[in-house]
Amino acid sequence: MKRFLRGWAKNEKWVNLILLAIAVVYPLLFGRAYLINVGTLCLINVLVSLSLNVLTGYMGITGLGWAGFFGIGAYTAAILSTKLGWGFLATLLAGAVTTALCGILVGLPTLKLSGRYVAIVTMAFCEICRALETNMDWLTRGSRGIPNIPRISLFGFRFPKWMQYYAILFLVILTMFIIHRIINSRLGRGILAVKDDDIAASAMGVDPFRYKVMTFAIATAFAGLAGAFYAHYIGFIDPSNFTFDQSTIFISMTIMGGLGNLMGSVLGGISLTVLPEILRPLMDVRQIVYGVLLIIMMLVRPQGILGGFNLKHIRQQMSVRSGGEKHE
Amino acid sequence: MNEVILRTEHLTQRFGGLCAVHDANIQIHKNEIVGIIGPNGAGKSTLFNDITGMYVPTEGKVYFHDMDITGKKPYEITKLGMARTFQNIRLFPTMTVLENVMLGVHCKTRSNLIDVVLKTKRARQEEAEAQRIAEEILNITGLYDYRYNYATSLPYGLQRRLEFSRAMASSPEILLFDEPAAGMNEQETKDLGDFILKLKEMGYTVVLIEHDMKLVMSICEHIYVQDHGECIAYGTPEEVKSNPSVIEAYLGKEE
Repeated sequence: MKRFLRGWAKNEKWVNLILLAIAVVYPLLFGRAYLINVGTLCLINVLVSLSLNVLTGYMGITGLGWAGFFGIGAYTAAILSTKLGWGFLATLLAGAVTTALCGILVGLPTLKLSGRYVAIVTMAFCEICRALETNMDWLTRGSRGIPNIPRISLFGFRFPKWMQYYAILFLVILTMFIIHRIINSRLGRGILAVKDDDIAASAMGVDPFRYKVMTFAIATAFAGLAGAFYAHYIGFIDPSNFTFDQSTIFISMTIMGGLGNLMGSVLGGISLTVLPEILRPLMDVRQIVYGVLLIIMMLVRPQGILGGFNLKHIRQQMSVRSGGEKHE
Repeated sequence: MNEVILRTEHLTQRFGGLCAVHDANIQIHKNEIVGIIGPNGAGKSTLFNDITGMYVPTEGKVYFHDMDITGKKPYEITKLGMARTFQNIRLFPTMTVLENVMLGVHCKTRSNLIDVVLKTKRARQEEAEAQRIAEEILNITGLYDYRYNYATSLPYGLQRRLEFSRAMASSPEILLFDEPAAGMNEQETKDLGDFILKLKEMGYTVVLIEHDMKLVMSICEHIYVQDHGECIAYGTPEEVKSNPSVIEAYLGKEE
């Protein structure tokens, strides 16, 4: 394991390039509509998992109701495009901004609480969202859902399936880039410090509350972005897409993939989208197998498959060792 | 004597019926080493917590350079130039030694979200500057070789030293150490004493809560003695040592 990690850390750039190449080539190799569809859904889930990782992995707050925020993004995009005829880019942005505002609204009164209470709040928020989506008939058409959400298009050009795949791939890469930059900066250090020990962070000049609200806003913005894309991609949404069950799947992806590791979210998002597809022939047994796998995961590696690995730190430690400086 | 940079006026902290600190009036002068001693439960740490903003005092005021800082938040007080360590070490375990110290520089940097995402000139400069300051401090405290280790992987004595380093990184005027020698052996305690004297030479003002009398008596210029929330004595080490009420607090009354 250690050797594998060191090798990965040493060649991180190449590994990333190879993964990117695989992602780019995938639709060319597997041209079947079904496989491209699975690939796109994988990437949407990766995007959600990335956003949740910001909150849960880096900030240490378990987001139990993430489908609620995902749903706000989706409904914002759906309503704006079907009722007001907004274009794709505008609804995408509006989805992210609206969700972030909701995130701030939820965060301001609750983020003074400690992590596990916030987890319950997000869970309750998800329920509230679902109830509102079901009952605000004039806006959301209730449980009949919103059909005919325009397909993803730019400047009047409607994207075919394979181009939608590349669109979400671009969004995923952009998101990873932004999160990576934030985490490896003074702000990222502040976020990690608040997660590790908010009293010490506060004594070192970091305002824990401000950092929590900021992180919550960033995380929910990306969740909203994913939701908006999802609405346009699927074309029909109704409240049953954004239930607590869906939230459970999102948090499973994030935790199983690895907390505090962006590649973990990629792994978690893809594997928990593909796994149910592979297990489809097993029919009813599927859910059991799925559950057993998760339990094994929790027992063996509770922080997730790639959780807690920091390639930058591994590289730094290697540089000191090979430099022949003394240790311990 | 130098000017007073930190003082409390009638500082009182009650927790329900318990009066942890009662009417504390302490004065810390610039560039001196002051010890606060007293039996367990005398209210020393509570006093620290009141001064650094961890608690809001029930009554009384805290002044830093004649500025009223009573009720200010800990992170605001740190920005003004006061840094502290904790009785039970509080490091950031998922961060390296270097990152822990770089976090100390946090309050001196300004880059916002847009800066860090676009890696603007300001973000790059501040990051390089933070690293330079952190490495400089680690060189002073002798932790440079451990800079890429995880903070909590260090042996206990070095973790203490890392906490000092992190406090120093916020470029404070005054450092408050809560039981810095706790759990240290004799040699480590002696090194700690030398280190605190070095800090004084570098221009810092140091206030420490400490149980190790040998250390306190050898380095502190003034000592406050707390007992049952009250300040029972103040003076130079010699004065305090011969003060009957101090002897009573520690050893009990002679029958």
